[in-house]
Amino acid sequence: MQYLKTLLVKVDIDPERLEMYNLSAAMGPKWMEICTEFTERIKKLGPSPIWWAEHDHKKKESD
Amino acid sequence: MIVGKQKSLEEIWDMVKDYQKVLVFGCNTCVAICHEGGNKEAEILGSLLRIKAKQENRDMEIKTGGIERQCEHEYLDQASEAVEEADVVLSLACGAGVQFLGEKFPHKTVLPGLNTTFIGVVDAPGEFSERCQMCGECILHLTGGICPIARCSKSLMNGPCGGSNNGSCEINPDIPCAWQLIHERLEAQGRGHLIDVFIPPKNWITSRAGGPRNQKREDVAT
Amino acid sequence: MSEYKSGSNLEKVLKSGQFAFTGECGPPEGADVEHLKEKASHLKGCVDAVNVTDNQTAVARMSSWAASLILLQEGLEPNFQMVCRDRNRLAMQSDILGVYAHGIRNMLCLSGDHQRFGDHPEAKNVFDLDSMQLIYTVKSMRDEGKFLSGKEIKGRPKFFIGAACNPFAEPFALRVRRLAKKIGVGADFIQTQCIYNMDKFREFMKQVVDLGLHEKCYILAGITPMKSLGMARYMASKVPGMDVPDSLIERLKGAGKGKVAEEGIRFALEQIEELKEMPGVSGVHLMAIEWEHRVPEIAERAGMLPRPQVS
Repeated sequence: MQYLKTLLVKVDIDPERLEMYNLSAAMGPKWMEICTEFTERIKKLGPSPIWWAEHDHKKKESD
Repeated sequence: MIVGKQKSLEEIWDMVKDYQKVLVFGCNTCVAICHEGGNKEAEILGSLLRIKAKQENRDMEIKTGGIERQCEHEYLDQASEAVEEADVVLSLACGAGVQFLGEKFPHKTVLPGLNTTFIGVVDAPGEFSERCQMCGECILHLTGGICPIARCSKSLMNGPCGGSNNGSCEINPDIPCAWQLIHERLEAQGRGHLIDVFIPPKNWITSRAGGPRNQKREDVAT
Repeated sequence: MSEYKSGSNLEKVLKSGQFAFTGECGPPEGADVEHLKEKASHLKGCVDAVNVTDNQTAVARMSSWAASLILLQEGLEPNFQMVCRDRNRLAMQSDILGVYAHGIRNMLCLSGDHQRFGDHPEAKNVFDLDSMQLIYTVKSMRDEGKFLSGKEIKGRPKFFIGAACNPFAEPFALRVRRLAKKIGVGADFIQTQCIYNMDKFREFMKQVVDLGLHEKCYILAGITPMKSLGMARYMASKVPGMDVPDSLIERLKGAGKGKVAEEGIRFALEQIEELKEMPGVSGVHLMAIEWEHRVPEIAERAGMLPRPQVS
């Protein structure tokens, strides 16, 4: 994971966007907690550079 | 084995960005052992380049692949299809492999994705160090099995120099003083007197200094 | 017929049994030689010969042979130096012939600091020969009249051959053996790395004398006066192969502000006094780099003046 995060930095993607969690199918509440927390995290970070790139590209096409 | 280090993503991107169909091609022998240029590393690099292409809004088709070794014809033959389809090939092999691939497909642009560094060993997982300078006239029998040409920063044959510093080379504390190692090894083997023997000026003809080398086995060559 | 190997002043002084005193001078970092001549003027008459360094610490300067010729013109005897880092055996042999033809008679054969220390770290080094092989080469040219190729030399370069020795580098056990090896391949005189740890040096010289090495080769002890506390601390921690005892640093500290240089000189003078009497030591090599104007005073106070004139 550490290594993957360093690779993400190379392409200007915030390493916080990637995380690994270990849990079993029976851990429902924990799963909900993780989803909520992670969604919050990503919301705070905003759209990724890839989204922006595609967004700008579509905008140029429609202009 | 041959050790190399992948070029920076910036440098690689700069080399490939103007092409449409890129093939990132790995070599699964030496450079795979040092985790820099193997088939797996080719896939990872391919992914990173695709992300970059998307961010920079370039319409590129980046494929990955690889073979066992890029320095032998029998493996290169397997690469034909993938190579022919691409506009440019980014080879992650050592310098020999990159060149050989280029010789096999001279009409294709073949670019080096690695900086080939040295012949060395795996000291520990992920740690590699230089051992041999391919001088063509091995003197390991005189130096207790430790090569002063490769491991002494000044390639002294009658060392150590006056800069040997607490067992380390004066230029970098991470480099052990080769002659200190030689002395200790010879002493341990009861051959300590060898250090007092003068090694005369070296014949460098057999090294790269004497020109690019080649070799033929008459009994095997067709 | 001369019984000297080179007939140089340094050789004559040493051979006559008198205590030799050599100095050092760094070539300029440019083609302007005014400062070089000024430094030379301070040394004139105070020393038997002057070392002229060769791209010292791998910093590009005027070459040793060129600066040596200037010193010769100024009336001093240079100790021409050649390092193995910058030249291959062809360039070495041709420079050896060239400087001899111009009147240089002393030559020091050194490995050379690695280029990564200097101002051109990206340069490719040579090290075709190491210092021991260079000593061997000069001796073959002088005594056998042959190039390394085996071809005969018309007009032998009859040098007084010098080498360096560092009694303080690790491993200590190897230092005397390495000295013996250098003498074995042809070194006529040795200059040591600058000494601060006199105990260790005494021990080293005892081993040297026990092996009879001082009878085959003249040994000059290196002395560099400490100019400041900063210099002492730097030498103690940043220079490989240098042994500076804490007691010396304490002594310099104790001298008080503005008086450290004088204390450094006093220490050097005490060392010289002891070295004059130490068995096996044939002279002192004073390295007062960019402090050449103090050399006449040091030479005077050390009782080194006037320098002997041996015909």
